[in-house]
Amino acid sequence: MRRTVGQMLGRTGIRIPLILWTIAVLYPIIWMFIGSFKSNAEIYRNPWGLPETFNWQNFADAWTNYNIDTSVFNSLIVTVIGAILTLAMAIPTAYAIERINFRGSRFLFTLYISAMMIPMVLGWIPLFFLLMELNLLDNIYGLAIVYAVSQLPFTIFVLTSFMSTIPKSLEESAAMDGMSPYMVLWKIITPLSMSGIITVTIMNTIQFWNEYFMALIFLQSSENYTLALAIDFISSEAQYTNAWGTLFASLVIAIVPVIILYAIFQRRIAKGMTEGAIKG
Amino acid sequence: MLREYTGADENDSIRWTKVSEMMDGKPSFLRKSDWMVQSSKQKYIFLAFCLVPTFIMFCIFTLYPLFSGLYYSFFDWSGASANREFVGFDNYVRLFNDAIIPRTIIHDYFLVATKIIGIMIMALFFAVALTQLKIKEAPFYRIVFFFPNIMSVVVIGILWTFIYNPSMGLVNSGLEFLGLESLARPWLGSETWALPSLVLPSIWAGIGLFLLMLMGGISNISKSYYEAAEIDGATEWQQFWKVTLPLIWPQIKISVLYIIITTLNGSFILVQVMTGGGPNNATHVMGSYLYQQAFEQYNFGYGATIGVMILVLSLITVLFFQFLMRREKVEY
Repeated sequence: MRRTVGQMLGRTGIRIPLILWTIAVLYPIIWMFIGSFKSNAEIYRNPWGLPETFNWQNFADAWTNYNIDTSVFNSLIVTVIGAILTLAMAIPTAYAIERINFRGSRFLFTLYISAMMIPMVLGWIPLFFLLMELNLLDNIYGLAIVYAVSQLPFTIFVLTSFMSTIPKSLEESAAMDGMSPYMVLWKIITPLSMSGIITVTIMNTIQFWNEYFMALIFLQSSENYTLALAIDFISSEAQYTNAWGTLFASLVIAIVPVIILYAIFQRRIAKGMTEGAIKG
Repeated sequence: MLREYTGADENDSIRWTKVSEMMDGKPSFLRKSDWMVQSSKQKYIFLAFCLVPTFIMFCIFTLYPLFSGLYYSFFDWSGASANREFVGFDNYVRLFNDAIIPRTIIHDYFLVATKIIGIMIMALFFAVALTQLKIKEAPFYRIVFFFPNIMSVVVIGILWTFIYNPSMGLVNSGLEFLGLESLARPWLGSETWALPSLVLPSIWAGIGLFLLMLMGGISNISKSYYEAAEIDGATEWQQFWKVTLPLIWPQIKISVLYIIITTLNGSFILVQVMTGGGPNNATHVMGSYLYQQAFEQYNFGYGATIGVMILVLSLITVLFFQFLMRREKVEY
C-alpha cells in the first residue's frame, strides 16, 4: 500500500517541484528580456507583465548614452587576450608536468592545484600596488594578465588530465622521426588535446566575460570599464535616473553571449565545471 | 586537498602511478625508456621553455601577492609608500577588538550553513527525481537548472535586487497577490531580512552544479543494489537512505566542501552587488569588509589582516569538515 502511494507520488507529484523550480529559474531571466523592451513608464506601471510594444530604444540608449559599446569592446579584449594567454601559459606546463619526468614535477603540480583553494582576496591588495608599479593599473591588458594567471591552476589541471589520455606511442614515433620536442608539443600534443583545450577555453571565456570583483578593484576610469562594471554603474545610477529599461537592456547584452555559448557547448560546460569541482 | 577521490578516475590513477614511479629510484632523465632520445642539456632547455615563463607569471601574480599580503598585515599603510609604518601585531589586536569583525564572520557562516542545507536538500531531491524516476524530460530540467551557474554574479545580483524591490519587486507583488500584504517588506533594506534574502539567490545560482555532481554519483550506482533492496522489501524511502545516500557520500562530501570554499572565498561578490554590506553593516561578510577597509577607506594594512583571517578561517573550516565527514568508503 505504501509502495503504491509512494510510486504515485513519485511519478506525477514529483513533477510539481521540478516545474516550480523551472519557473523560478526561467521567469526572472525571461522577465529581464521582456523588461529590456519596455519603456520606463511601462516598467513602473506593470513591472512583471508583457510589454505593450517591443521597442529597441533601451538598447540604443545603453549603447550610446551609457557607453556600453566601449565596455563591450573592453570586455571582448580582456576575454580574448585572457583566454589566449591562459592557453599559452598552461599548455606547455601541463605537457611538461604530464609527460616529462623531472624532479619536483609532483610538487609543482600540487602547488598549482592548491592555488585553486586559496582565497585570492588576500592577494588582491598587493596585486593592486604591483599593477600600479608596472603601470598596469586601470589598464585592460593588465586585467587580462591577472585573469589569465588566475585561471592557470584550473586550466593546467584540466589539460593534464586530458593529455594523460593521449597514447604515448604517437610522441615516441614522432621523436624517432627526428621531430624536436617543440614540434611534438605544437604539432601532436596540441591538436590531440583540442577537445580539452576547447572545454577549458569556453569555461575561461565565460569566467572572464562575467568577472566583476577584480575588475572593480583594478579598473578605475569609466572608459576602461568592462561590461560587468558598466552594468553595476548603470544599476547604481538607476536609483536616481530610473533608467530601468536601459539597465535591463545592458543585462541582456551581457547575458546573450553566455546563453549562445551554453546553447552550443552545454555538455562541455556542464562536464568541465563538474569535473573541475570534483577533482579540484 | 580533495584529491583523495581521484583514485576512482582511471586516467588519474595512471598518472599518479607514473608520478610515484618517478619519485623513487634514480633521476628519471637517465632512463633509457624515456622517449626523448636526446642530450639532457636539450631536455633541460625544453623543460625550461615549458615551465619557467608560466611559473614566473604565477609567482608574480599569485604567490608574491599572497605572501606580501601576509607581510602587509604587519603595517599601517594608507597606500602612499612614504607613510608605511611597521606596527607589529597592532592590526591583529585591532581585528580582535573590531566589533564588526565577529558580525562579518557570523554572516559568512550563516551563508555557509544555509547554503549547504538549502542546496544539498534541493540538489539531492532533484538528483534522485531526475535519475531514479524515469522522467522523459529530465535533460530539459538539467539544462535549465544548471544555467544560473554560468551567469555573471552582477547579472544575478541585479536581477535579484529587482525581485526584492519593495515597490516593483516580484516577492512583494506575489505576497500582495496572495493577500499577504502584511508580510511584504523592503527585504534588502531591512536589517533583519537583508542577510537571509541573500541566501535565495545563492541557492538559485548554485544548485545546478551540485545537481550534476550528485546525478553523476547516482547514475554510477549499479542497478543490482536496488533490485536486491527491492527483493528484501525495502521501500523507496529506505532504498534512498540505505543505498543511494551511502554510495554517493563522496559526491556529497565534495559538494559540501566546495560550497564552503566558494562561499567563504566568494560570497562577498554577491553582497557587494546587492547590498554593499548594508544596511548598517547587516550584510557585511569578511570579503566585503576587506574591500571596504582597503579600497574605500584606504586601510590597506588592516585590509590585509582581514585577508589573512579569511585565509586562516577557510583552511580551518575545510579541514574541520573533512574530518567531520570522513567515512569509510562503502562497498556492498
